[in-house]
Amino acid sequence: MKLKKQNKHLSVEPSGWYWILYILPALLIYTTFMAFPLLDSIRLSLYTGNTDATREFIAFGNFKKLFTDETLSIRYGGAFLHTVIFFLINMIIQNGLGILFAVIITTKTMKARSFYQTVIFVPTTFAVLVTGYLWKLLLNPVWSGDALTKLGLGFLSQPWLGSTQTALVVVSLISCWQWMGIPTMMFVAALKNIPQDCLEVAAIEGASAWQTFTKIKLPLIKPVIGMVTILTFVNNFNAFDIIFATETVNGAPNYATDLLGTLFYRTGIAGEHPVAIADPGLGAAIATITFIVLLIGVIPVLKLTRGDN
Amino acid sequence: MGSWRADDVTAMNNLLDAYSKVAPDVEIDFKPTNPADYNTTLRLQLDSATGPDLMYARSYAPGIELFESGYFADCSDIEGLSNFTESNKAPWMTSDGKMFAIPFAAVSHAVYYNKDLFKKANVNVPNTWEEFLTVCAKLQSSGTTPLSNGLADEWDILETFFFGALPNYVGGASQRVKYESGELKLNDANFVKAYTAMKDVAKYCPNGFESVTYNDSQALFATGKAAMFIDGSWTVGTYGEATFDWGVFAIPAPKGNKTAICFHPDMAITMNTTTEYPAEAKAFLSWLCTVEGATTASKYLPAGFFPMINVPISIELKQANEFLALNNGKETDARFVWPLLLDLYSPMDQAVIKVMKGAITPTQAANDVQKAYDNLDL
Repeated sequence: MKLKKQNKHLSVEPSGWYWILYILPALLIYTTFMAFPLLDSIRLSLYTGNTDATREFIAFGNFKKLFTDETLSIRYGGAFLHTVIFFLINMIIQNGLGILFAVIITTKTMKARSFYQTVIFVPTTFAVLVTGYLWKLLLNPVWSGDALTKLGLGFLSQPWLGSTQTALVVVSLISCWQWMGIPTMMFVAALKNIPQDCLEVAAIEGASAWQTFTKIKLPLIKPVIGMVTILTFVNNFNAFDIIFATETVNGAPNYATDLLGTLFYRTGIAGEHPVAIADPGLGAAIATITFIVLLIGVIPVLKLTRGDN
Repeated sequence: MGSWRADDVTAMNNLLDAYSKVAPDVEIDFKPTNPADYNTTLRLQLDSATGPDLMYARSYAPGIELFESGYFADCSDIEGLSNFTESNKAPWMTSDGKMFAIPFAAVSHAVYYNKDLFKKANVNVPNTWEEFLTVCAKLQSSGTTPLSNGLADEWDILETFFFGALPNYVGGASQRVKYESGELKLNDANFVKAYTAMKDVAKYCPNGFESVTYNDSQALFATGKAAMFIDGSWTVGTYGEATFDWGVFAIPAPKGNKTAICFHPDMAITMNTTTEYPAEAKAFLSWLCTVEGATTASKYLPAGFFPMINVPISIELKQANEFLALNNGKETDARFVWPLLLDLYSPMDQAVIKVMKGAITPTQAANDVQKAYDNLDL
């Protein structure tokens, strides 16, 4: 008994509620700047009216309107579908190329590694507005048509961003081009962490490059793939800036590139041109659904890819 | 003073300086916000009782809304309002005849044209829409892009081009009212003809006009790559440094119709109901209604914003004067949807764009808009 008591005194674990002091700063910052606004915006989604004076509780009225109003439901359905397509293109092209480049860069025989690494990473340092502006000029026959024709590539001189058939895909590819550097870097870091002896043994055993990739490298970088997937998912479902920079907040042409982010901006923040009176409650309803979708989407990805090593 | 004209800080400060000579004890600060945020910002300010004493008022519904919320003062008894015509007062008048702002400036819409390129292609200013298309064809065969208008930004093709041309097809305010009440249908022959005009003109727009933005259009015209640009009067000051000779002409009506002008009431100034200086604010508004005030204002207003007062006023810039002169002897009206049908802005915009891309026929376009009208609860 006596001994035990002594031990307790010697323990470095503080007794009582000391620990709360350690997490208090983070907790305060998190609640004030993250949890509170989030919960408040969920609360806002249950109200209508755009000023304190005219605000009125309407329960799930905004959500109902979003799914039943003739125009709004078409816009919301369109925006949701476009966001999914935007995410899938980014997921497959951006992250697929990310893995490919990372594997090539980390290959032992590869030369001028840091040069390629830099080239791939540079676009991520551009401001989205700059990227959007540059691509808008490049993809515009009025400005790039002559140059392309001289290069014998006249068939490429199309209004890519102005056609409803191509706009969404092209904008997604611009986004891939810009952000590819991030997954590439993450995969490079993960691949470098794979113990060399594993790869050497595989080489000695006569494993082909493809076998090494699918049987050794891929399983070992699975947690990173999970992280990248979640980041892509969250960023793409909240995407707004690239559309704003290339296609206006209306998701031109004919709403073909309207994402949840742009629809949210138009309804909740800026209002539709030319009246420009926003409906914050309706905007909050859009944001709340996006939040729930993200929440539901992230969990299985985490489960599937969390390191079970 | 609150405003959405962030570009006009210098111009307005000059105007307000001029006013301080008239009323030495009064100092007015011009504090504009980003144009797109003005309605939201102003509402927030007014709701939290931090609104400006004087402010710009939007025409029609957005303005009426703020008057009915009790923020804009009733200006009906301001002296000098009789200097404005009924049609120029209407955009800031409630249905029971109360004025909630003093009309300040209007914008117009027309065809900017490069006289040098016209000479080169040996064409003259067209008088009818049919001639206009012939001029376009001739310019095109001479190797020039006839029109610089594009679709990428979506607002400009509707507001400057379609609404600019629409009075030629449907007539002025007296006819517009019939469409608003449902007496005339938005898919009647006139509208189909207007959409057909948009379809016909698409091939004279730049190659890849689907992705040409408003800025691109301006650049194409300013660099002489395109011979014409259908735009609003607000850019009339932009081409001052152009190396070619240019002018403006009214968007011509089809044969048999009278050419009318889309002269859009844009800005008005009003005062806050809760201002601490009601007498001074009122004095300023009255001054704007005098010949002296309006002349001073037009002197400092940016080129292309025209005073709405019913007295002859001369403007310095030659082309701006030409622009205003286009109104002479013609019927004028606001942009078609502004007075009552703002909810049709997007459906009409989409219809025009789809027609120009060839995705739908003019008849389909007109039917789509009529369907949107049927779904409104007016």
